[in-house]
Amino acid sequence: MNQHPYLRAYMAGIAAPTAFLLVALAIFCVARFVFQLPLPIERVIVVPLIVVPNAFGLWNMLYLKLRPHWQTPIGLHGALLPFFLGPIGFVVATGLGFVRVGAHGLTAFDVINVPYWILVIGPFFAIAVYYLVWKYLVGFLNREVGIG
Amino acid sequence: MQEHENGKMREALKLAFPAVDQELQRDLWPLMLRRMEKAQRHPGVPWYDWVLAGAVTVAFVFFPKLVLLLAYHL
Repeated sequence: MNQHPYLRAYMAGIAAPTAFLLVALAIFCVARFVFQLPLPIERVIVVPLIVVPNAFGLWNMLYLKLRPHWQTPIGLHGALLPFFLGPIGFVVATGLGFVRVGAHGLTAFDVINVPYWILVIGPFFAIAVYYLVWKYLVGFLNREVGIG
Repeated sequence: MQEHENGKMREALKLAFPAVDQELQRDLWPLMLRRMEKAQRHPGVPWYDWVLAGAVTVAFVFFPKLVLLLAYHL
């Protein structure tokens, strides 16, 4: 069971967002086909489909690599990930044109207006969710594959 | 004649394949007990994680737009 620990860390890391991808895709489909939002799913799905799972896998590999030198709890390690994923997601969203920066907030898909004050609490919300997901979901998967 | 040859065959097979040692090499029960104790020692969910989960749920209710943010980033 001591073979390929980094491969197991990567696979344990990508499992959580890959499973949640079904939920995300369902939310986007409901928004697109039920609420008729002009949501370009094929462009929106790039970040949840490609960037986030790979980031989780690589972040879990980094956790395994750093653990002998830096005994940080896995929840706190995961809570740092939004500081990288947030800007990446924002850049991709603005680059692909489905989020525009306005005077009073962000406009997503030309329909959803997100005022800046919500963006103030957004990072805290993301950090809290990531902390819980990493502590309980990724931590559980790490224990299951023998690297926890 | 047939019985004799069967007997010789049986002897030859016994010589070719020695009896397998079916006894356990070590007692596995202490190992099992250690695993059970380790599983029991695993701590539950601390109170501050419940508070955090509750706060996230409340934030979902009051700011439903955050669902899209989460769906996009997770």
